[in-house]
Amino acid sequence: MKTHGIIPDEWIVSYASGALSEAHALVVATHCHFHPALQQKLIDAENIGALLMESRPPVKVSSHMFDDIISKIDDLPNEVKQPSNDNGLPFPLAEYLNHKSLDQLNWRMMGPGLSQVRLWTGPNDERLWLLKAKGGAKIPSHDHSGLELTLVLQGSYHVGKDQYGPGLLEIADDETKNHTPLIDAGEDCICLVVTEAPIKIHSLLGRLAQPFIGL
Amino acid sequence: MVFIRIKAMINAGRQICIGNREAFCLTAQGLMSDSLCRNLYKGSIMDEPSAFSDYSHEQLVILVARNKDRHAFHHLFDYFAPRIKSYLLNFNMSDQKAEDLTQEVMITLWQKADKFDPQKARISTWLFRVARNKYIDKVRQQKYPEVNADDHIASMIAPEKTDQNLKEQQDQGRIKMAMAALNDEQRKVIELSFFKELSHSQIAAETNLPLGTVKSRIRMAFQALREELGDYR
Repeated sequence: MKTHGIIPDEWIVSYASGALSEAHALVVATHCHFHPALQQKLIDAENIGALLMESRPPVKVSSHMFDDIISKIDDLPNEVKQPSNDNGLPFPLAEYLNHKSLDQLNWRMMGPGLSQVRLWTGPNDERLWLLKAKGGAKIPSHDHSGLELTLVLQGSYHVGKDQYGPGLLEIADDETKNHTPLIDAGEDCICLVVTEAPIKIHSLLGRLAQPFIGL
Repeated sequence: MVFIRIKAMINAGRQICIGNREAFCLTAQGLMSDSLCRNLYKGSIMDEPSAFSDYSHEQLVILVARNKDRHAFHHLFDYFAPRIKSYLLNFNMSDQKAEDLTQEVMITLWQKADKFDPQKARISTWLFRVARNKYIDKVRQQKYPEVNADDHIASMIAPEKTDQNLKEQQDQGRIKMAMAALNDEQRKVIELSFFKELSHSQIAAETNLPLGTVKSRIRMAFQALREELGDYR
């Protein structure tokens, strides 16, 4: 049933229906950017949403709405299209970062070989991050309370025998104990991550450092 | 033989469509099927609202994009505004708020009609996406990142070119049948997703079901709907 590193269909439905948070929507949209088959599924799901919208019983709209719209569109300035620059990033992420490159972001060191940028904080302590780890680094062993999505943008890492490379997504939840990602040797591994609650780091040193690094 | 006759009609259309209509006709010829071009040519002569009932919604959007045709826009408004408002009212908002957002969605259609490519997307899907994102932006005050820019909606598949209106009516019938074919449990999770925008865990709380059950029901319902609507693209 599960395909390694590919988001399950229930997430595609939730994206299409508008049920995801900003952070989850960004991760799902960026993930889909890598996989044409997921884009087709998403279109199918959005087609279902559109058909459901169309099949709603039509309700009365105010008699002046159309005239209001006409008077507004007469005053609209012509749209000026900003030249977009994706900096080699997938479109949804490039747009989200206002077309800044990764180097232009404000990276904070979290420890040896590990740095992060926090992009968004939502309700229920939900946080969106970019994480960068040096090739060969070991992320401290930890447990999760809540859901964590990790999308690889560059480089790769292993969890057990599963490898996650660019475009692949790892979903970890309450049941994921002793989560110890191992960054593969080579280029830096950069990931887009959403956490729902602070993760629980096992080692004493890690626990002491946690408040400072902000995970 | 039929082909030659259609070609002749297009040529006739091009000769008549001079001045400010010319670019449109040339574009139409380049972009659209022969039958669509012929219909649009017909529309440019019969410049009155009643003429639009023969057009598909996608064809009307092309008229809005190319000619800023207000009759065509009015026709789209009459069909979509009451349905978009109905969809938005699901999200516990005031009638006034739903009116305001519907108005914004229709203004976006007017502004961005030229970005819409009928070869790649259905206008109802495009409007659904705009309405969904407007609600999230204005009410939930969050962004909703999209996979592609709206002016290059990649990998969508062209709608059938023939009998557009008939096909639209059939599509409406098909989604109703496809929804009816789901079992009650599957229909419930799809409705809570699309009409309440509930997350998996919110659906679990609402229905008193384990999270895993909610997820598998959504998966199975989606699978069933995709099979029913397989060639609907």
